[in-house]
Amino acid sequence: MMMRFVAVIVVGCAVASVGCGRSRVAAPGADVEAAEKIRATLVSASGKSGGKTADVAATGTGWGTLRGRFVFAGAPPQAKPLVVDKDTEVCSVGGMKLLDRSVLVDASSKGLANVVVFARKTSRVKTAAAEAPAVFDQKNCEFLSPVFAARVGQQVDVRNSDPIGHNTNIAGSSFNQLIPAGQGTAYKPDAETGMPTMVTCNIHPWMKAYAVFRKDGYVAVSAADGSFSIADLPAGETIEFQVWHERSGGPNGAVGLEKPDLKWTRTGRFQIKLEADEVKDLGTLEIPASIVGT
Amino acid sequence: MNRFSHVAFLPIAVLAACLLSVGCGKTPSASYRLNMVEATKQRLTPDQERQVATVLLAMFGTPDNPVVLPETGLDEAKLRLASGPVRSDIVGRKNGLYREHCAHCHGVTGDGMGPTAAFLNPYPRDYRPGVFKFKSTERADKPTHADMLRILRNGIAGTSMPSFALLSEPKIDALAEYVKYLSIRGETELALMRAYFELDDDAKGILPETREFLVDETLTPVAEKWKSAPAAQIVVPDMPADIDLAESIAKGRELFYGDKANCVKCHGVTGLGDGQANDYDDWNKAIVEINKEVKSGLAKTGETSTSGMSAEDAAEHRQQVAWLGKFSDVIDGDALKPRTIPPRNLRVGIYRGGRRPLDLYYRIHAGINGAPMPAAKGTVPPEDIWHIVNYIRSLPYEFDGELGADKPMVARDRF
Amino acid sequence: MGSRLGGIFWSLIFLAVPVLGVATFAVAPSYNIWLPKNVSEHGPSIDSLFMFILALTGVVFVVTEVLLFWFLWKYDAAKAKGPATYIHGSHTLEVVWTIIPAATLLFLAIYQMNTWADVKMRRPAMSPTVEVVARQFEWRLRYPGRDNMLGTRDDLFLTNDLHLPVDEDILIQLKSMDVLHSFFLPNFRIKQDAVPGMKIPVWFKATETGAFDIVCAELCGWGHYKMKGRVTIESRADFDRWLEETYARQEATQPASEDITASAAD
Repeated sequence: MMMRFVAVIVVGCAVASVGCGRSRVAAPGADVEAAEKIRATLVSASGKSGGKTADVAATGTGWGTLRGRFVFAGAPPQAKPLVVDKDTEVCSVGGMKLLDRSVLVDASSKGLANVVVFARKTSRVKTAAAEAPAVFDQKNCEFLSPVFAARVGQQVDVRNSDPIGHNTNIAGSSFNQLIPAGQGTAYKPDAETGMPTMVTCNIHPWMKAYAVFRKDGYVAVSAADGSFSIADLPAGETIEFQVWHERSGGPNGAVGLEKPDLKWTRTGRFQIKLEADEVKDLGTLEIPASIVGT
Repeated sequence: MNRFSHVAFLPIAVLAACLLSVGCGKTPSASYRLNMVEATKQRLTPDQERQVATVLLAMFGTPDNPVVLPETGLDEAKLRLASGPVRSDIVGRKNGLYREHCAHCHGVTGDGMGPTAAFLNPYPRDYRPGVFKFKSTERADKPTHADMLRILRNGIAGTSMPSFALLSEPKIDALAEYVKYLSIRGETELALMRAYFELDDDAKGILPETREFLVDETLTPVAEKWKSAPAAQIVVPDMPADIDLAESIAKGRELFYGDKANCVKCHGVTGLGDGQANDYDDWNKAIVEINKEVKSGLAKTGETSTSGMSAEDAAEHRQQVAWLGKFSDVIDGDALKPRTIPPRNLRVGIYRGGRRPLDLYYRIHAGINGAPMPAAKGTVPPEDIWHIVNYIRSLPYEFDGELGADKPMVARDRF
Repeated sequence: MGSRLGGIFWSLIFLAVPVLGVATFAVAPSYNIWLPKNVSEHGPSIDSLFMFILALTGVVFVVTEVLLFWFLWKYDAAKAKGPATYIHGSHTLEVVWTIIPAATLLFLAIYQMNTWADVKMRRPAMSPTVEVVARQFEWRLRYPGRDNMLGTRDDLFLTNDLHLPVDEDILIQLKSMDVLHSFFLPNFRIKQDAVPGMKIPVWFKATETGAFDIVCAELCGWGHYKMKGRVTIESRADFDRWLEETYARQEATQPASEDITASAAD
C-alpha cells in the first residue's frame, strides 16, 4: 500500500516537473562587471577610442583594374519553373514559363552569372559620385537584372516596361513603391547594403532580384559568361574584396573558395594589391557545385 | 484499511506531487532575452553572444533598472515609471506600467513573444527591428511620439491591441517612451550582431568596446532616426472643400480598378481582400526565409557524407551541421510560426491604423512599412489619393441606395 | 465521548456564524463594500427588492442559526443523562416548514415581476442611442450619428469611452464580436450578457451626471479582468457638443495640432 503511494508521488513529481512550456536554446548571460566597466567608458567622454575598422591609409597614386571569370564546376542544377498565378495574360503570355534564375550557368562557357564582387573598404575613389543614372527595369513579370549594383547616392530609375502595374520592394530600405505600367520612379540609395538585399514585387510574389549599393562604387556583377571587371581601383594599397552569390551556403551568401594565394577566407573575402595602371586578371575562378547547393 | 482509502489517495498523491514540484525558490527577476535568431543567423560564437549581452547591459541596463544614455534622447523619468515590476513608491502612483499592461503580449524584451503572443492573430509587434506600421511619417521613417500615443489611446481595431484610453496621459506617455527605448535597444542589438561580419581579421571576432564605436557609430544613427521623425511627417494637402462626393467616389473607383494604383491586384475585385493570399509581412518573412535556408541546408548536409573529405572539410561539414541544428532549435523556441498577411478586407469598415480620412491618406501615400502595402507617393497625385480615400470609405455602405438604408447590408453589419 | 468543554467550544463556533454574518452587513457601508452608488431610475426598485430579500432571508438565517446553537448547547452529549430518544420526526413540522418557504418564494416571484418587466421587458419605443459591441478585451461603441440610423456613413466609432445624456431614456444595442461577455454597469444596476450572434436591447435612464465604470461580468479570456470601460453621463447640451467634436475628429483630413510636434531642435 505504502509502496504504491510512494510510486504515484514519484511519478507525479516527474511528470509535473517536466512541464509543458516551450524549451528555448540557452542564451549566454552578460558579464556584469565587464558591463560596469563599459558603462563607465560610455558615460565619460574619455577612455579608449577607435571605431570598428581603422581607416585605410591612403598610399600610392594611380588606379588599377581587377578582373576574372567565375565558372561553375560540376553539373548545374535544373532551373525550376516559378509559380505564376496572377496576370497570366502578361506573365505567362504564349505559354512562356518563368524559371528560377538563382543558378545561371552558361551552357558553352560554363560561366556562373550574378556573382557579386565588391571592395570592402578603400581609401580613395576615382570619381566622387556616379555620373550616369542607372536603370533597373522589369518586363514580362520578372526583373531584368537578377542582381543589380548601384552606388550610394546614384540616381536609379526604377522602371516598369510591362503593360501592367508592379510595385518594387527593396528589403531593408523601406522603399516599396507602386510603379504604373510603362512608367518609372526615381530612387536614390542612401545607405550601403553590406551583402546584397532582396528586391521583390508584392503584387507578383514570384518576382525576385537582389540589389547591392556601395559607397565607393567598386562593385561588379559577373556577366552571363561569368566574367567581371572592376576598374579604377586605388593602386598601392591592399584592398579586401567580398564575394557573394545568392545560393552560396557560406555565411550571408559569401563564396569561400580554396585560394590561399589570394588569402581567400571562409567568409568569402580575398585580398589584392594593385600597381598603378595594372590590369590584374585572376583568371578562371572555379566555384564547385557543392557551394551553390542543389 | 477500508474502501475509502483507495479512492482518496490518488488525488492526494497528485496534489502532493504538484506541490513538491513547484518548489520554494524566489522568483527570478526579469531579464532581457538575446535576439537568438539574429545571433544564430550571423553565426556568432558563444563568446560573441556574451559580448553582445554585456555591451547591451552596459548601454541599456536591465528590465528593472534601465540605463538611459543621453544620446538616445529618452526621458529617464518616464522610463522609471514604465519599467520594472509593478510596485508603488508614492501613494497613488503605480510603477511598472509596461509589465502590467504590455509585457504579456509584447514580451519583456519587446520581441512580440510574450506568453500570450502565440494565440493572437495578428502577432503582437516585435519592436526590435524598429519598424512600425501605422504612423503619419514617410514609409522609411520612425513614428512620431504623437503616433505612438494615438495607437496606445485608440488601440488597433481588428487586432488584439486594446485601447488604453482610460489610462491617464502621463501613463500613456511613459509607455510610449518605454516602447521607443525597447525599439532603440533592439535595433542597437541587431547592429552589434551584424557588425561582427564587417570586422577586420585582426579584431579576432571581438567588437571594440569604445565610446566611438558603441555610441557614435552604432547607437547614435538609430536614435537619430527617432529624433528626426517629426520632420518626416507627411504633408497632406487639404481635400478640396467644394468636392462633389459622388463624383470623387466614382473617380476613386476608377483609380482603385486602374493600372496606376493597382489596388484590386491585392484587395480583390470585390474589395474583400481576396486578391492574393500568400504574402508575408517583414517579421514573418524573415522566419520563412530562415526556414527555407535551414531546410535546404539540412537536406544538402544530409546527403553529403564526410568519407573522402579532408580533415578540414570534414570539420567544416560538422560545424555546418551543428549550426543548422542550432538554428532549427532557435526557430522552434525563439520565433513564432510564420503567418501570411492577407490584404485588408475593405468592406467591413475596420481600419487598423485609424479610420479618419487622414489615416487612410497616410496608408495610401506611404504604404505600410513592414507590410506588402506599397507607397503610392509619386505615382498617384494627392487629389487622386483623396478620391481613393472617399471610395474606400464608401465601400462598406456601397449598397445603400440599391437595398435601401433601412436594410443594413451584410458587409457593414457583419459584426 | 467528547468533553463538556469541547461541546461549549463547538457551540460557540457555530454561534459566531450568525454574529459575524450580521456584523459584516452592519459595518459594510462604512468600509465601502456595500452596494455601489446608484444613479439610474430603476435602481431604487432593484435595491429595495435586494433589501427586502436580504431582510427576509436575514431573519430566517439568524433564527435558524440561533436554534442550531441552542440545540448544540442544550443537548451536548457530555451533558446527556441517558440514551437519546429516537422518533420518526414530526409530520406537521415538515409540512409547515415546506409550505412557508414555498409561499414566500411564490410571493417574491410575483412581487419582483414588475421590476423585472421594467428592466427586461418594457423596452422604450426608440431607436438605439448607441451600439455596444463587446470584444476581447474592450467595448467598441458605435453611435448612429445625425441621421439617427446605425449602419450609415455618419456613424461615430469609439472604444471604451461611452457618453450618454442624463435624464433621458437610453437604449443600447448590445452585441458581441467574438465570445460571451457581460455588459455590467454597477452604478446603474444593469447587467446583460452579450451573446455572439444576438442583438440584445438594454435600456435605462441616468439620474445624475458623472463618470462610472463599465466592467465585464462574464469570463471571456485572459483579459477579462481588465476589460474596463467608462460611461460618462452629462447634460444633453454637453453630450451633443461632445458628439460633434468627436465626429469632427473622426472625419479629420489634417493632423490635429497636438499631433504635429516641432522637429527636435533640442
